Amino acid sequence: MPRVNRTFVFVLLLASSCAFLLFQLYYYRNYVSKEPGLHLLDPAGHVTSSQVQWQNLKKFLALAQFFRLPLFLADSAALALLSQDALRQRAMHEPHCSFLCAGRPITSFALPASQWQLSPGFLLAAEQKGFQLLEVRGRDPRLASLDTLSGEEIPLHFLFRLHGYIIHVVLLYERSGGYLWHGALRLKAAADPTFAPFRLLDYGRHAGAYDRPELLLTVVDGLDVRVPRNISRFLAQRQEARFLECRYHDARSFLQLYPDDSSAAAVEFRRKAKVLLRLAAQSLDRLGVPFWISSGTCLGWYRQCGVISYSRDVDIGIFISDFRPQITTAFRDAGMSLKHQFGKVEDSLELSFLGEDVKLDIFFFYRDGDVVWNGGTQAKSGRKFKYVFPSFSLCWAELLEVKVRVPCETLDYVMANYGGTWSVPVKSWDWKSSPSNVIENGVWPVAEWAGLIQVY
Amino acid sequence: METWTPNPRAKPFIPRQQRSWYLTWKYRLTQRRSLRRFCQAGAVLFLFVTVVVNIKLILDTRRVADEDAADQEYDVVPNMETPRRPASGRKVLDIEVYSSRSKVYVAVDGTTVLEDDMREQGRGVHVIVLNQATGHVMAKRIFDTYSPHEDEAMILFLNMVTRGRILIFTVKDEGTFHLKDAAKNLLKSLGSQAALGLSWRDMWTLVVKKGGQTVLVLVLEPNLLIIHQHSDFCGPAEAECHWADTELNRRRKLFCSKVEGYGSICSCKDPAPIEFNPDPLPSNNVFNVPVAVIAGNRPNYLYRMLRSLLSAHGVNPQVITVFIDGYYEEPMDVVDLFGLKGVQHTPISIKNARVSQHYKASLTATFNLHPDAGFAVVLEEDLDISVDFFSFLSQTIHLLDQDDSLYCISAWNDQGYEHTAEDPALLYRVESMPGLGWVLKKSIYKDELEPKWPTPEKLWDWDMWMRMPEQRKGRECIIPDVSRSYHFGIIGLNMNGYFHEVYFKKHKFNTIPNIQLRNVESLRKDAYEAEIQKLLKEAELLDHSRNPCEDSFVPDTEGKTYIMFIKMESELDTSTWTELAKCLHVWDLDVRGYHRGLWRLFRKRNHILVIAVPISPYSVKKPAALAPIHLEPPPKEEGAPVEQL
Repeated sequence: MPRVNRTFVFVLLLASSCAFLLFQLYYYRNYVSKEPGLHLLDPAGHVTSSQVQWQNLKKFLALAQFFRLPLFLADSAALALLSQDALRQRAMHEPHCSFLCAGRPITSFALPASQWQLSPGFLLAAEQKGFQLLEVRGRDPRLASLDTLSGEEIPLHFLFRLHGYIIHVVLLYERSGGYLWHGALRLKAAADPTFAPFRLLDYGRHAGAYDRPELLLTVVDGLDVRVPRNISRFLAQRQEARFLECRYHDARSFLQLYPDDSSAAAVEFRRKAKVLLRLAAQSLDRLGVPFWISSGTCLGWYRQCGVISYSRDVDIGIFISDFRPQITTAFRDAGMSLKHQFGKVEDSLELSFLGEDVKLDIFFFYRDGDVVWNGGTQAKSGRKFKYVFPSFSLCWAELLEVKVRVPCETLDYVMANYGGTWSVPVKSWDWKSSPSNVIENGVWPVAEWAGLIQVY
Repeated sequence: METWTPNPRAKPFIPRQQRSWYLTWKYRLTQRRSLRRFCQAGAVLFLFVTVVVNIKLILDTRRVADEDAADQEYDVVPNMETPRRPASGRKVLDIEVYSSRSKVYVAVDGTTVLEDDMREQGRGVHVIVLNQATGHVMAKRIFDTYSPHEDEAMILFLNMVTRGRILIFTVKDEGTFHLKDAAKNLLKSLGSQAALGLSWRDMWTLVVKKGGQTVLVLVLEPNLLIIHQHSDFCGPAEAECHWADTELNRRRKLFCSKVEGYGSICSCKDPAPIEFNPDPLPSNNVFNVPVAVIAGNRPNYLYRMLRSLLSAHGVNPQVITVFIDGYYEEPMDVVDLFGLKGVQHTPISIKNARVSQHYKASLTATFNLHPDAGFAVVLEEDLDISVDFFSFLSQTIHLLDQDDSLYCISAWNDQGYEHTAEDPALLYRVESMPGLGWVLKKSIYKDELEPKWPTPEKLWDWDMWMRMPEQRKGRECIIPDVSRSYHFGIIGLNMNGYFHEVYFKKHKFNTIPNIQLRNVESLRKDAYEAEIQKLLKEAELLDHSRNPCEDSFVPDTEGKTYIMFIKMESELDTSTWTELAKCLHVWDLDVRGYHRGLWRLFRKRNHILVIAVPISPYSVKKPAALAPIHLEPPPKEEGAPVEQL
């Protein structure tokens, strides 16, 4: 083979491989700039890109200020950094993106929906500034009651994208239970599923419930930003903010089958139950004791979005790890009287209060491996019972216009307690034998009765 | 390779810079095998790097794609909206029209667009407007021309329809009794040859293109008529108007492409405004109070109502929600036209109970949508709203908050007719609940009314229920002397033309803006008693020997206060008041608008206090010798029973 030819082939090969490589580089760069999470080829590019992100935020916040939108920072990463480094004031005032960017391509803000004027001006202006917009709408939960109302879908989330960075604005709606609500982010089929790395979003996997945060205007990374005054509290709320909407549709079908009792006595019981539930929620929230609605009250919420008028009491559950001796005094201060106290902190504790002529039962739940259980005691015989539930996490829900917790796995919880026929009303209920999860658990020693079975 | 001796035939040394880069390398490459080998190795390495980068790229891309796919799984919900079929330009419309005593129907291209065979409903002329290009129904109306003045409404409507539209008329039951010549002439000018000859109980249909040719005119036949007509007079879509491209005009354009019969809203030149920008109030206490507009399927009423509401000073469109009972399109189109929030409600139950359930759902939703609100303004779709409606509420709403003896604030005075209401700055306390534009307190609704609201199977009127002593509990409502709302609805559940004419048409309605209400604080429970005592003291006794129904009963003075006493032995003894109300031409169907047995109204610009003796505590003011006026109802005569509102 002549030498010249060989060289020629080499050069050709080299040139083509160079061209190929360049092409790949170009393609890759293009891809990376779309997906800012991947800084594979350009580790030094991070600094410049955070500059880009900062510019984005500056532009966006200026716009929000112009339209008087009281956005506040709700980004978990940024807030976590802020709460750690709240003292490093100097850094906060410097126009470097050390907090707001937090190494993530997304910055989240929240906006009270009542402030969201129906002016398309803001969105239009943002688009003119180069932001690409994705608006996620959904059904208005405030219309989803037992009456079938349907209104226009309301905006739930806005995603603004510029230079590959996302600004996520989640709208917080006032709900009648006195809390703020945001919806789950669900894309319509027509929406672009690659618009943003949706998995990285702080908000939108589930609907969430929050207390109204007190806000503070401050300077972060040289930008004027509102942040929650109590950042750690806000972040703690975010951890367990998941909200379950009542199953109104199923409740309607249930109530068609078994209409609600509308007698004066039933109306009166519902009113009292509401007052009692509100009192209990206020007292326990003040103590910082998380509770959930249990037994018949939970069934009422799950099955008919209300209280079961013939249940005659209100039941709540508390993990024994959250027990405080102050609970009794707090309830007394709220005007309720202790009716009985069974068991002890180590075993089968149960408190009953009377308020508004309605009994409020507090069952304390004990973790045991992968199940939780609570106890029951028969006063006259000292017999003990045990009710076993599969373990569960807690979610927010609304019952009688009170924000309460429910087990997130509500169906499992209800099924454990009431069996597969939970959807059929049973009026004669014996707490010692009717529940499908009741187990006989021995008898209290007679000598200890005086301390363990207190009836007032 | 190991030993290398200089080539004796080598060229002499030339300084490097004189040789080009290319030549150097060429020289080296061609001359030095080791270097060549090196380069070969380099190239192979280079290729190898390419391969590695390639593989990495593929892996990364796949990972990202996987994530995307996962995101997709998690985020996408199926699209529920069905694609709309494009409206293709039509050349032929197949129209079928049926007219008879008990049933009417109209089908366009085999699709029934009107069918009414309900007993005792839908009497009169049914009119349907079709889009000539698409065949879509743009308006549907019934004009009960058996009753008076409905033909005037029909003329008004027909004049508003754009030229070129297809009009379909058909009569159900009877439609000629009050069809006056003006209407007949209009029908003739549209192309009906038989309109002038229409007579009692004639069945009649007409299909015509407005301003164009008639398709098929009238077949007269007693009691039954069917027309089956292929009409090929469809035309191209109307020339589009060139309105400026604004948000408002986009709404207008959408509206005009769907519905017909709203007059100059859709006119190309100088269209009627859909944004009104009324003056704000200097200090508005009701700016954030939600406004619930309760509506059914009376879109042209809703249009008129919303126009007056949005023109009222101090209105806040952000807090207005229109609740529509049923999934009707046209009322929703009207709501969208004004850019308001509309909510539709699946009808529950029938007749009065349906209205009652709709009220409940609407009120609950209003307080859900505005959890911070302490009040809600409740309006209906057949009300005109006074220009100072919100000013009136802004000046009085604090009373509802502070005075527990109050049940509501209403814009409506049941006894406030043209001849009995005078003073727009004057307020009363009354023991009835007038409704028709009123303010409801959240705590009253949430704690008292909502839990025991009548269930769907109870066919009760919500307002009658609200007036029952169990609900009202002796509380009173504040009303103005001159109403801030006007009830214009003629068609309705409990309403017809005659009833409206007698009881609503002559109602006084305030049209003056920014009225400063007088002595608002004296409307509180105790202050009002003092106010009444003051009035009683200065009042002059009317001559009880005269007939109270005669005009001369009240002297021809101005600005004086008179007092009269009527007999009312018990709550149920209403005959004297009813007779008095009849001759005064005020509301006489039940006893309304009193405060502790005292009615206040104006006659000939004089304030008249009517006191029921002995049930009113104010009876003590009656001179002992004076016998209260007693009127007996005339002997019963046959008359159509009038439904109560």
